[in-house]
Amino acid sequence: MRTIILGHGLAGTMAGKTLRELGSPAEIIIIGEEKYPYYPRPNLIDFIAGDLPLNRMFAFPPDWAEKQKIQVNYGRRITGLDKEKMAVEIDGQEWIKGDNLVLATGAAPLLPGIPGVEKKGVFSLRTIDDAQSLLEFLTAGPEPEVVVLGGGLLGLEIARAILKRGLKTVTVVEYFNRLLPRQLDETGARLLRVQLEKMGLKFLLGKEAAEIEGEGKVSQIKFKDGSQLPAGAIIVAAGVKPRIELALKAGLSCNRGLLVDDYLQTSQAGIYAAGDVAEHRGRIYGLIPAAFDQARTVAYNLAGQEKKYEGTVPANTLKVAGVFLTTAGLILPEGEGFEILSRLDEEQGVYKKLVFKDNQLVGAIWLGVKKGGQEISRLVQARKDPGQYKSNLLADNFDFSRLNNL
Amino acid sequence: MEKWECTACGYIYDPEAGDPEHDIPPGTPFESLPDDWVCPQCGVSKEFFQKID
Repeated sequence: MRTIILGHGLAGTMAGKTLRELGSPAEIIIIGEEKYPYYPRPNLIDFIAGDLPLNRMFAFPPDWAEKQKIQVNYGRRITGLDKEKMAVEIDGQEWIKGDNLVLATGAAPLLPGIPGVEKKGVFSLRTIDDAQSLLEFLTAGPEPEVVVLGGGLLGLEIARAILKRGLKTVTVVEYFNRLLPRQLDETGARLLRVQLEKMGLKFLLGKEAAEIEGEGKVSQIKFKDGSQLPAGAIIVAAGVKPRIELALKAGLSCNRGLLVDDYLQTSQAGIYAAGDVAEHRGRIYGLIPAAFDQARTVAYNLAGQEKKYEGTVPANTLKVAGVFLTTAGLILPEGEGFEILSRLDEEQGVYKKLVFKDNQLVGAIWLGVKKGGQEISRLVQARKDPGQYKSNLLADNFDFSRLNNL
Repeated sequence: MEKWECTACGYIYDPEAGDPEHDIPPGTPFESLPDDWVCPQCGVSKEFFQKID
């Protein structure tokens, strides 16, 4: 029995790791594009900030894969996929055949289709090599004015990290008129922005990039409204796209992502998918907890222990410069039948919002405060009715541990 | 002693149990973990951990 895992990111690695933990005797082969052992991508942020040196980025000891009898092929590209033969082509040279395949090919940064995006000084961040070339560029020569395109989670994290590196001018540009458009509503986004401005970040909201200008390398960015901004370095953090090219060519059913059923099987029996490439019940998560759940589910099914994946409720705790943010479930409800309770304390920088449907808690924003965030988030995941406590949930002094007994 | 949760993957560090697989003996508070300790489940750095109240 041989399982070939395409991709050495979190999903691919955890699928292999879990398969071993389940006692599977299968031969496990992981093929990874990067030349490094497994690391979780959030560590790239700490690396850029200067908090984590390269040699400490990796999750497992150097002999981990060998001890687990997992064969990892580093720095190799998958160039072909034959779904009938259950075979993959590596580096356009050799084909290897397996009994099962796991596609964990992840996602690639989305680059805007604007003139100048290929210029020197334009970066995206997905790999260790990306991070290293960015750092080299930022620290060579006079300090550049840095522009981060994208005010989502990754954009804010990158901006914070570069500021922490010691660079002075870092501007986040966001197409929407608020930060974290997927995680926050308008009130929360405004509050977060104020907090981040206090720590030195600059923001330009509601701006759409039109062109990146510069001779040889970038010098400024022009926006659709005609305005411009000096930019010695530009980092694009405007979302990602699932890497489905191979799957598409091989004839596996795809939408925006690679389609999987509740067993995380693709349209071809014996071929599974997990992580950022997978689309399950219309959702592509792009979140570590989801990639984790999916990788585990794949491993169980591979090990012959049938297991269904029911989806992952996106709960995200983010911390930017001491600003806590927990968002869970549905935060911007559309349609009828929702009840919203909220409380805003501008002075303390605290914002709490709860979204109910039929008395069940279905969504929450907890900004600038940590206490209660986890309990609320759990309540959302369980879609529970907080019953008698409903009116107390927004109070700072509420004993949130009471919710655990609901 | 307080437990800490990995905000990336949900792993919970329990000081009473430690992390013997990575030479962290039982009874080691989170604050005393070495700087290069990473989440044994997903590998993110200590920065990603939050105290569970």
